[in-house]
Amino acid sequence: MTHPILEISGLDVFAPGADGPRQLVFDSTLSVGRGEAVGLVGESGSGKTLTVRAVAGLLPDGFTTRGAIRVDGQELAGLGRRAVRELRARRIGMVFQTPRAHLNPLRTIGDFLTEALVHVAGASPADAGRRARALLDEVGITDPDRRMRQHPGELSGGLLQRVMIAAALAMDPEILLADEITTALDVTTQEEVMAVLAELRERRELSLLFITHDLALAGAVCDRVNVMQHGRIVETLPAATMRRDATQAYTRTLMAAALDEAPPIVAEAGTAAPPILRLEGIRKSYRLRDARGRADTLVAVDDVSMELARGGSLGIVGESGSGKTTAARILLGLETADAGRIEVAGEDWSRPARGGRGRRHRAKLAQMVFQDPYQSLDRRQTVEQCLREAIRVHRPRAERAALDARIAELMGHVRLDPALLGQRPRSLSGGQRQRVAIARALAADPELLVLDEAVSALDVTTQVEILTLLDTIRRETGLALLMITHDLTVIRRLCDQVVVMRQGRIEEHGTAEAILDAPQADYTRLLLDSIPREGWTPRRRRLGRTGSLATVTRSTVIPD
Amino acid sequence: MSVAQIAGGAVPTVAKRAARRDWLFRGALVVFGLIALAALLGPWIAPYDSSALYVGPVNGASSLAHPFGTDDVGRDILSRVLVGAGASVFAPIVVVLLSTVLGLGLALTAAWFGGWVSGVVARVVDVIFAIPGLVIAVLAVAMFGKGLVAPVVALSIAYIPVVARLTQTAAARELGKPYLAALRVQGVSSLAICFRHLVPAMIPVVAAQMAVGFGYAMLDLAAISFLGLGQQPPAPDWGSMIAGGQAGILAGAPEQSVFPAVFVVITVLAVGIIGARVTLWAEEKER
Amino acid sequence: MPPLTRTVLARLGGMLLTLFLASVVIYSAVLLTGDPIAALAGGAKPTPELIEQIRAAYHLDDPLWSRYWQWLTSAVQGDFGRSFVYKTEVMTLLAPRFGLTLQLVLLTVLIILVFGVGSGVVAALRGGAVDRTVAVLTSLGMALPTFVVAILLIWIFAKSLGWFPVYGEGGGGWDRVWHLVLPAVSLAVLFIAYLSRVTRSALVAQVHSEHVETARVRGIPRSRIFRVHVFRNAAPQILAISGTTIAGLFAASAIAEVAFGLGGIGSLLVQAAARADLPVVQIVSLLLVTIFVVLNAIADLCSALIDPTSVAGGKAA
Repeated sequence: MTHPILEISGLDVFAPGADGPRQLVFDSTLSVGRGEAVGLVGESGSGKTLTVRAVAGLLPDGFTTRGAIRVDGQELAGLGRRAVRELRARRIGMVFQTPRAHLNPLRTIGDFLTEALVHVAGASPADAGRRARALLDEVGITDPDRRMRQHPGELSGGLLQRVMIAAALAMDPEILLADEITTALDVTTQEEVMAVLAELRERRELSLLFITHDLALAGAVCDRVNVMQHGRIVETLPAATMRRDATQAYTRTLMAAALDEAPPIVAEAGTAAPPILRLEGIRKSYRLRDARGRADTLVAVDDVSMELARGGSLGIVGESGSGKTTAARILLGLETADAGRIEVAGEDWSRPARGGRGRRHRAKLAQMVFQDPYQSLDRRQTVEQCLREAIRVHRPRAERAALDARIAELMGHVRLDPALLGQRPRSLSGGQRQRVAIARALAADPELLVLDEAVSALDVTTQVEILTLLDTIRRETGLALLMITHDLTVIRRLCDQVVVMRQGRIEEHGTAEAILDAPQADYTRLLLDSIPREGWTPRRRRLGRTGSLATVTRSTVIPD
Repeated sequence: MSVAQIAGGAVPTVAKRAARRDWLFRGALVVFGLIALAALLGPWIAPYDSSALYVGPVNGASSLAHPFGTDDVGRDILSRVLVGAGASVFAPIVVVLLSTVLGLGLALTAAWFGGWVSGVVARVVDVIFAIPGLVIAVLAVAMFGKGLVAPVVALSIAYIPVVARLTQTAAARELGKPYLAALRVQGVSSLAICFRHLVPAMIPVVAAQMAVGFGYAMLDLAAISFLGLGQQPPAPDWGSMIAGGQAGILAGAPEQSVFPAVFVVITVLAVGIIGARVTLWAEEKER
Repeated sequence: MPPLTRTVLARLGGMLLTLFLASVVIYSAVLLTGDPIAALAGGAKPTPELIEQIRAAYHLDDPLWSRYWQWLTSAVQGDFGRSFVYKTEVMTLLAPRFGLTLQLVLLTVLIILVFGVGSGVVAALRGGAVDRTVAVLTSLGMALPTFVVAILLIWIFAKSLGWFPVYGEGGGGWDRVWHLVLPAVSLAVLFIAYLSRVTRSALVAQVHSEHVETARVRGIPRSRIFRVHVFRNAAPQILAISGTTIAGLFAASAIAEVAFGLGGIGSLLVQAAARADLPVVQIVSLLLVTIFVVLNAIADLCSALIDPTSVAGGKAA
């Protein structure tokens, strides 16, 4: 009988604590057979990453484990340190979430690829170089000679992740541990990386332990899926039939976050009234330096026009570098457009407001919710102080009782327990923080709310809650929503109109129904096809981006 | 001399670990409290007049009457150490306050106006950084003459680059955070953003820098008086006592140098431990 | 232009501008306050004729900027003017003293690098009790200023044990080294502690970095991880701070020179300041600033050279 390649049984992981060890993973048991792909799915804090780190020997200092980890039948605990290191080096390959941080910035790609071959396997540098080029070719990276000489800073995230995979394959391991390897990537890049992985598995009979928060993705690429919650594996399901077989409520909640659950929102008819927002020919470019230090111009937003009806909800979809966030920041006066016209509620907002009165006036019309609620709240303010400040801006002479009543009303709007008023952001959960941020935005009773990736930093179950909340608020108050997102699932739940942006330009716009169910532009189709779902197979659709995209570093300077 | 100039970098983690030990921190607080008390009450608690000659033997060793011995003109060293604590403790406080005000002012000016103003500020800071603290002190002595004023002014200027760069980095980091953009979108006025959010956010960093800077200022001031450019005799001062006692060492009476030296070291150690603790607190505030 | 050349030129330009501005500060600060005529007259009550002579000899009637320009151009050509106090060329005062300071600094640098970087590396590598011991020692070292160490060394090694000479610079060769050991140690202690901590924290940051995690998971031998991924990546930071430390030693050596009665440029500067010998103060200050700025720029460039990623985003010094 052959052993599974990887067998974890009864694994407990403990973190060191001031009063004794704290258990974070409870009795984790799973196995990965030869050539099999197994998913380990859970939200943040579920213990999935700790489990795989225990296998790779990368637990932080002071962490302890109980239970058994066997690689090809060999119990790790029974081997000497040297033997364990050899076993891990040769039999296991590991790929991480953030390739940029996991590559030494001072060493070239070539150094990185050949290092293990030369210094662990004892190959000659020339052989190792040949092998490295072959590996780059295997993961679909063109022009390997040039890549070998480049530094990580010169490559895009998707390319770096493929370099990581190539490096992990250098020692011909039997199993690949992939820890959230596509989470930091755009959805189309995710598909490419997953396609590369699928090809490799087929060609090499590679086993895979795939850690992700995305149940649909795991279901699409794995044979079996383990669902993990609060440090425990709650359910193990065959991927093909997981929709039918799932018995745990938690698994069902995770599934419900998938795309094709909800039908798109249909705009209510009769929008003859003038729009709350009109953008015309907006353009914005930045001067910056590319990876080699040469001056370059990046056109972040290029001739963008759109309209949003009063009480409507418009989604702007795009991948990183599409200019969607810049467009929103221009609208709210956080950046100045080079050209174009912005109209909100019939007023000309083409230039940022000058002076306090102008800014306060605009604040009453349009508000914004940011991506990371922890960063967008002042960590020194309690929830109450934060809301009080937001209300006081517009009602400087209001009585204390009136402010208290308004705070209570806002907390009710966002369904937050008033008991949380005395808390600071640090002690709130991600979902609670984002509710506070929304309540703060509603304080001014705006007519337009801009949501910049407002749910993408949250766990899927929390995302659903926040999106439902936003939709309710929109229906109750007639607030118009402008949702900026990379995630089409979000659009489906919240928007009636959609604009698809790519590299600063609008690719397509129309009703949510039309865009999601009958897209016209190739790029929209590509975006839709890249979303993992049941029966989805990743395909390589285009050549990888060659260089790292120049990034804009914003420093928000206070004007006046 | 240049320790303060190079100390703008990361505070080493060893110090942090030491700072977590509470008994050490409490001990440092007690020691510093006692020395501060001596600084305040020195002339009243000193057993002898610190400038009175021949109250004991010349180059006397430690004895019951003179626990720290007596110097080459028979002055009581314990009394001189106690009275000297005043200048040794308060002068660094003035240096820290002045350099913080000046450095903060420059950094905030640069951050607020940006553009060419921040370019000019950066150049001014560069030029000050280029002149070693001792050279600034010497120039100040040439301008104001010997005494306590010149070194204090000199070090206040010499420490500007450390404070300015540190605050500028902290301010830039804070300005990049979305919560400030969120406040602007809410219509909060720029002044309110600056004084209700930005300035409070930087207090821990500045406080930590002040605590650490105090230790350096104390060392540097003592060094300047050791060189004979600071507090002038007969006023007692730890640095000049150490220098003056060198002849005593060769005459077999090390007390007159060693006791003030011990006080310098103990004070700087205590301040260092307190500074590490404040830094740790500042970093925890950051999170 | 290749990015590296541009970085080098930008830093060179920044360095020259800084130096120029610093020279203006040094020249004007001293002249604004001191009374050169009183100093030149050597204490005697100057007669009007003498004042006239001095004014003419030192061009005191020319506008400030013109005198500054004359001073700077002569200084750059090696004409450092005459000392008010010694009544000789500043150059003849400076040359032998500079040699002595240079020797003292070199010996100190050797001690600092060996013990400072060495103990930092050991602390980071070994951890545990070794790390804690080094931590306690560096905490103590950071509180031991040069003048305190100097009097302790004089007391213990020179006076009580008699192993080393107490004062003076001795003759040439080994006798000179013999005389410089205690001064160098006294100068080094504080900086050893500082550099040890910097080295340790730079290394520890790399040890815990994610790219080192990758190397560990790939089974790269420990010694190679340390050399290639940890030390190599921490080197730019260690080098930059060592550079600033060493650059500052030329000024800091004054304390050791005074404590041990050595005739170096530091003690010359202190004596000149005490006696208001303005030409000497100006020239020595300018010299110290130049050394500080140039050494810092060199350290900066070396860090840039070993860190290819810093070139693109590099900032002028």
